[in-house]
Amino acid sequence: MASSTRLPADCSRRLVAELRGALDACAERQRQLDRSLRVCRRLLRAWEPAGPPAAEPTPGPESNGDPSPACTPSPQDLKELELLTQVLEKAVRVRKGVSKPAERDKAPSLKPRTVATPPATTTSAPPQAPGQAGSRTPETRPPRRIRQSKVLAKGHPERKLLSTREKTSLGRGAQATSPSPGDQQVTPSAAPRAPEAFTLEEKGTLLRLPVAFQKAASQNARLWAQIDSTRTSDSANAATRTRFLQRMQAASGRPNMGLSAAAVEAEVGRLRQACSLLRLRMGAELAAAPAGWVQEYRCLLILEGLQAMAGRCLQRLQELHEAVTEQHLELWPSGMPPRASSLCGGGTDAAWSPQPLLYSSTRELQTLAALRLRVAMLDQQLHLEKVLMVELLPLVRTQGPDCLALFRAVYSLLCNGGQRFPMVLRDEPAD
Amino acid sequence: MGRRRRWVGQVAGTRAGALPEAIAALSRTLSAGPSPETFRRAKFDFPEAAPPLWRLLFYVLSPLSEDDIAASLTPEARVRLVKSAMRAQGYPRLAFSRLPEDGSQGSRELLLALSWLLARGPLLERLLARTRVRLGDEMPVCECEDLPCGRASPGPPTLCKDTEGCVDVRHVQWLMGKLRFRWRNLICSHQAQCALLSKIHEYTLGCHSDQSLNHLSAAETELLRDPEGGQQLLQMLEFENMRLEAALEWRRLEQVFWQWMDTVLGACPPDFPHAGSQSTFLPSIPDPGAGELDLVARELQALQVELREAVEVRRAAWEAQVRGLRPERSAEMRALKEAVGRELATLQQAWEREGGPVRPHRPHRLVRSEAGALPGQGLWAAEAIGALRNKEACLEAVLCWLQGQCQQELARLAGALPGVIWIPPHGR
Repeated sequence: MASSTRLPADCSRRLVAELRGALDACAERQRQLDRSLRVCRRLLRAWEPAGPPAAEPTPGPESNGDPSPACTPSPQDLKELELLTQVLEKAVRVRKGVSKPAERDKAPSLKPRTVATPPATTTSAPPQAPGQAGSRTPETRPPRRIRQSKVLAKGHPERKLLSTREKTSLGRGAQATSPSPGDQQVTPSAAPRAPEAFTLEEKGTLLRLPVAFQKAASQNARLWAQIDSTRTSDSANAATRTRFLQRMQAASGRPNMGLSAAAVEAEVGRLRQACSLLRLRMGAELAAAPAGWVQEYRCLLILEGLQAMAGRCLQRLQELHEAVTEQHLELWPSGMPPRASSLCGGGTDAAWSPQPLLYSSTRELQTLAALRLRVAMLDQQLHLEKVLMVELLPLVRTQGPDCLALFRAVYSLLCNGGQRFPMVLRDEPAD
Repeated sequence: MGRRRRWVGQVAGTRAGALPEAIAALSRTLSAGPSPETFRRAKFDFPEAAPPLWRLLFYVLSPLSEDDIAASLTPEARVRLVKSAMRAQGYPRLAFSRLPEDGSQGSRELLLALSWLLARGPLLERLLARTRVRLGDEMPVCECEDLPCGRASPGPPTLCKDTEGCVDVRHVQWLMGKLRFRWRNLICSHQAQCALLSKIHEYTLGCHSDQSLNHLSAAETELLRDPEGGQQLLQMLEFENMRLEAALEWRRLEQVFWQWMDTVLGACPPDFPHAGSQSTFLPSIPDPGAGELDLVARELQALQVELREAVEVRRAAWEAQVRGLRPERSAEMRALKEAVGRELATLQQAWEREGGPVRPHRPHRLVRSEAGALPGQGLWAAEAIGALRNKEACLEAVLCWLQGQCQQELARLAGALPGVIWIPPHGR
């Protein structure tokens, strides 16, 4: 039985290479994501190593407790995540242990405070459930330092400011920049001099970016915006470039070149997209129950229009096919077309300066991220489906009935993404 | 060749020194690109200018984050990749395709090839964007950014060498299962990341010096936590600013460059196709792309059949009904026809426009903002979600169709098997 489910060498190599590629791509994404998760988690804990590492808050609940709209993680997933979290925590702890002496050397004034801090206060408040954006209690934020910190931010652009150093720098800042006297009076009303660890949740709003960085960042934004704006306005340059391209084409050994392989590839991609859009629209029209003659007529017109469009697409495809044969164009030299949505990739009307993507709640952000992944996954699935079709269908066509196991496996791979299997009963002839 | 002494600046009607400035700006924009001197030497086809230009072309034509691949390739392989990438884009010069593969010669042809790429597209912008310092928490809306994780490398896919020979189909199934599992993990991690980012944004509200951004990103908060890393980030940012300034200067001065390139082109021997050159351009390999063309054709044909059937039924029903309609309806019908025409034209634009539906490609920085607030321009997540849902539906439809095709084919094959009862799995 085992021998009948073996795949030929060529087919094996191709499939394994494709799947490995897909797996590697996923793993790479995961690595990037883990890196970013690590950074975020660290930021949400107390920053300064103000106490023994044992007092670290466990970030478990914040990562696992989020009810996500797109996926409800299975217990197994949670367990995996938990493990991952533990490993990450350990890594952070090790890193902190290494970096602590260095930091003490840099800021000796901090040392006594660091030692004196009781461990209990370093534990940051348990993170809130996401999605409750407005529920931050203002009382937890000591209001007394806001003004001072702003003064300091101006006075010490080089100090990266605040964090738990705010108190130490306050001492120096009092001499150097003389904060307004009112602050001193407010201070006693808050917890008197109790050493506190800095957490983003409590004092995040006190942070200010260093001035040098602010300048560079705003210059950066301005320059990118200029790149976008001058691009649309440099018609003289565009004309010169076009002229140069024409001269070059005329002086080349193939002055009458038709379409390039890249152009054909792009257009085939567009036609593929056209097909799915047409199909989608057709489905919507057929599903709607027309009420009254106007709707009925409209639906008919649309279907006829779609039919004509599909015809034109087919015709264009035929033309492309001829061009490919005539000019011996080599499409997709790596074997298969790139996945569906690679068409974009900085086309001529691309903009380069970052634009805000505005979201209003954690839930919305999660939905967006989940959908993005879903689309990427479907894209990959579609690609793999095509590869599997090319490799496996010819195989089962030529096999006889003695390879039912292979048949069954192929059916499941091609028709159900490998998730469900058909049932096969041998109908032994009754004696 | 007394002419050879001439350096730049002598292009008619331009200020002396403008050309060196333009080339210097270009060179600075390309960051690790060739020095201005290399460009001058390339005009005279000096061989020492060839290796840096091959390197630059390879860098320009290879997709994102392929440094490791670049390192693993021999110079010959790189030359071949550059040639095939140029051919695929439709580069017309035959002399270029005939350059020796050791990469030792042809600096003038290489300069022409680079100029061709420069003249055609937003090349510099793309290169700048490729190494852009990401200050914000970004969420690409355009899926093309997922591509680097995909498989669009210009190299042959044989880079991953699997010499294990035949595998069992169960191994393929196992790999598929593993892939599904990885996606599930990825989705969960993404959800966790969104929750964390959203907290960082919320806790730092009002901290950003840029009013429209309002809060800090993870990277910006991190630079406050880790001043040394912040210093590095600042340096990278300043370096990028320098390159951006150079790119803007290049745009101001590029006219001179193109005039100079005209003289370079004039200095070239004619680009004749000579006997035997055909073989370099017309490889007689079987065309793997034809499969994809056929697949799209089949998809379109199937769609057309379905549409024809649907139209026939509805047209018959309509004609039966229309006999009862009064003639004054005709104006209404004409208006309806026009409206439908407009609607379908919009649909067609969705795929005909380069760059996909409506929105051009650009990077996006996440900004938390209460619904209803109006912080200048930006893309609302709800809009992006809508676009993605459309995309999702499209992809699902195609996948479904392909699976259906396979199902039909396999059911047909199974039906032909004697003595076997075939029960497909139920539900999806």
